[in-house]
Amino acid sequence: MRPHDNRAWFLVLPALALLGLVGALPLLAVINYGFHDIFSLTDVYWVGPQWFTDILQSDRFLASLGRSLLFSTLALAIQVPLGIGVALLLLGYGRQAVWGLMLVALPLVVPWNMIPMFWLGLIDAKGGLLGPGLAAIGFDWKFTGWHTWALILAVDTWHWLGLVVVLAYAGLSAIPSAYMQAAAIDGASRWAMFRHIQLPKIAGALAIVFLLRFVDSFMIYTEAFAINAGGPDDATRFLTLELGEEIKGFSYGQAAARATLYFLIVLAVVWAFVAATREREE
Amino acid sequence: MRHLGILALAAFILLPLVQAVLLSFTATLPTDDVAEGTLGLMNYRNVLAAPELRAAMVNSLVYVGLNVALCIAVGLPAAYALARRRFTGDRHFLLMILVFRVTPPVVLSLPIFILFSRFGLVNSPVGIALVHCLFNLPVAIWVLESFIRAVPREFDETAFLDGHSGPSFFFRHLIPQIAPGIGVAAFFCFIFSWVEVVFARILTVTGGKPITMAIQAMFSFRTDVGMVMAMTCLSLVPGVAMIWFVRNHLSRGFALRA
Repeated sequence: MRPHDNRAWFLVLPALALLGLVGALPLLAVINYGFHDIFSLTDVYWVGPQWFTDILQSDRFLASLGRSLLFSTLALAIQVPLGIGVALLLLGYGRQAVWGLMLVALPLVVPWNMIPMFWLGLIDAKGGLLGPGLAAIGFDWKFTGWHTWALILAVDTWHWLGLVVVLAYAGLSAIPSAYMQAAAIDGASRWAMFRHIQLPKIAGALAIVFLLRFVDSFMIYTEAFAINAGGPDDATRFLTLELGEEIKGFSYGQAAARATLYFLIVLAVVWAFVAATREREE
Repeated sequence: MRHLGILALAAFILLPLVQAVLLSFTATLPTDDVAEGTLGLMNYRNVLAAPELRAAMVNSLVYVGLNVALCIAVGLPAAYALARRRFTGDRHFLLMILVFRVTPPVVLSLPIFILFSRFGLVNSPVGIALVHCLFNLPVAIWVLESFIRAVPREFDETAFLDGHSGPSFFFRHLIPQIAPGIGVAAFFCFIFSWVEVVFARILTVTGGKPITMAIQAMFSFRTDVGMVMAMTCLSLVPGVAMIWFVRNHLSRGFALRA
């Protein structure tokens, strides 16, 4: 058991101060702005919760919230099982698995604003490697809503699969091989071994994967905006695209209120998740 | 069957990259002496000849370097405290860093800009390095904590019995012992910081642009796509090098601590 010693706070203090400066202070400011109408930095008027009620009562907000939630659900439903599957595959390669890990980590180092460019180049009907083939089967990401969805999901999966694989593989490779051998001798099926030995052991790694992937897909902006700017016909208008419009339109008060709401949604999910994790541990 | 899966995965991951690399070696805008579609190194020559693009590479390296150094320097003591001691509020601290890690950057972009312009940190790599700590410091703490936890406590006690005090213990004993952990922490900080665009955009209005924003600025009415791709491929080099250096320790990862 670790000894109880409050002097440990001195070691944590620098981290706390840094996060206070770049995290807590701006967060308080953004909540404060959300209750004001901001024309310029010197021209600020108190409006109370007006922006919040406006946003919460607008149909557009609810529709965007629904789209963002659906996108996150789909992204998690595709990427988490796929990532675990790839990690299990790699596990069978022993020391050679490191090449697979390096491969899936590659997209993680591509600048975010270039990822949509890569894909738009790839599916370009004239010069892209996949473009002519996709055009031949009638894939039209510009004007068909669900095609745009499929493209953004593919891009997001390409971008982030590596994180899921690396963290899942980390958890899986830490399991002593004796566990699996014992289960195999007892005649356990492959699925039973995964369900009762491997899955519980990687729960901690999967928890962080779930949270990171939820938040990043819920707040997807760079890719979604570059690919179709919310189109066609608002089919991919996610929450962040509305926030982006307000910031570009200099409606800072509304934007701050909206940002506060998004933060609260994220906070609620994190809180529920942590509460569930702690309950399971105890 | 297994190999087939890996092959499909490799194709999926590599296709967009192959396309980009091919384009980077192709002349996409015809000039007087080079016809469109010619293969060669001219895009890379053009990129390296452009002073603003060279400056962008330096800016990116400076801010990411600063960010990684800051995250490790501040994260290491905190990780040690969390791995070795219990203290009042330790779980709240873990919850707090988790919340900051998952706070969407776009939520904080506006006040960060106002706050940092007051301190003169806009258009400077220092500003970006500081603000990226928001999501990198938690990751650094998680990774380092798991590596320190893996070192038996007797290791610390022996060092203290040998007469090593706090700082000398950290630098002479702990850091060499968890060097791979520092590498992995640096890797994760690197990948989240090098490619980030929201803060990088809002904090570089007129100058100090990092690679991501310099690429953005290359798009115009007549975009030289080949040159854009050449710049992008160059921007991948440090990341690929990072992956190579930590390849044998990547499989340690990090897990939820809350």
